[in-house]
Amino acid sequence: MDHFQTYEVFEQKKRGTHHIHVGSVHAPSSELAMMFAKEQYSRRGQCVNLWVVKTSEILATQYEDADIFETTASKHHRDPNSYKVMDRIKAFKERQKQNA
Amino acid sequence: MEFNDKHVMGLKDLLYRMADDLLILGHRNSEWTGLGPILEEDIAFSSMAQDKIGQSLALYEILQELGERDPDTVAFTRNAEQFHSCYLVEMPIGEYDFSLVRHFFFDHQSALRMEMLVDTVVEPLQMVARKFKGEIKYHTMHADTWLKQLAATEESRLRIQTAINESFSMALGMFESSDYEKELIEANIFGGEDELKAKWYETVSEKLMAFGYTIPSLDSEASNGGRKGQHTEYLQPLLDEMTEVFSIDPAADW
Repeated sequence: MDHFQTYEVFEQKKRGTHHIHVGSVHAPSSELAMMFAKEQYSRRGQCVNLWVVKTSEILATQYEDADIFETTASKHHRDPNSYKVMDRIKAFKERQKQNA
Repeated sequence: MEFNDKHVMGLKDLLYRMADDLLILGHRNSEWTGLGPILEEDIAFSSMAQDKIGQSLALYEILQELGERDPDTVAFTRNAEQFHSCYLVEMPIGEYDFSLVRHFFFDHQSALRMEMLVDTVVEPLQMVARKFKGEIKYHTMHADTWLKQLAATEESRLRIQTAINESFSMALGMFESSDYEKELIEANIFGGEDELKAKWYETVSEKLMAFGYTIPSLDSEASNGGRKGQHTEYLQPLLDEMTEVFSIDPAADW
């Protein structure tokens, strides 16, 4: 069905949570894409809201540019796990246990 | 109020027409499985066909509570003349234009009938009407979306218009009066086929005109007979096929 566009489908499982990409459908219009998306992806299980977005409307990065995501080895201080709090958490838990 | 025999007969007739319509159309629409115009639509249409069979089961279960035989026996062992379904649902699937128009006409009828039954005094029927509200709403949204879409090009608009014109008298046959209209209305079981027909015509004509189609007059002749057990030559072969496996061993435990 090359003459139909594809639409990306995003499903929200609960109000207030993020919509999550679940797949795509072929359709002649966004309205029909929505009808198809409902049966393809939200037939079973919980869903409160659906989005469909024309695949062609999405701007994506190129895989050859994936190096832009690399973190420099010298910047580990940016990672949350670099903070030296584990000792204090362990000590806190230990105290909790003793008090219990 | 206490139900007399006529109230019970009227209620059973109402349940049989609803359940039989759903079973037969569910079976018909499932004939598109694997042949649908595109994969996504194939899945959606098949899934709605399955919904219809599920809805018919819920109604046959109410009939069983009223003393009729169990759902499998009722669904799989009756002959055509024992079915209360209308002509519209038994017609072969034809081209996709006809199947979509039938889907549009039938499901709006189904949605409005269930809406009227939300307040019925028959509690289990009230529960069924509430339970399937969302499911049927999707079916009407799906039908509306397709008819709107197909009004966009002249060829598709013309095909849908032809299917509307050709199936309209059969659509009116959905509202064939029962022998118990008065009893159903006075006991607050159901508001009656005439009231439903008026609501249905208002809904479908408004939608069709908004999409760019015309709709035949409500005074057109209705193809009646199905509700009284008279059927076209298409119903019995459908039943033969549907019951083929069941008939091999009716006592088998599935």
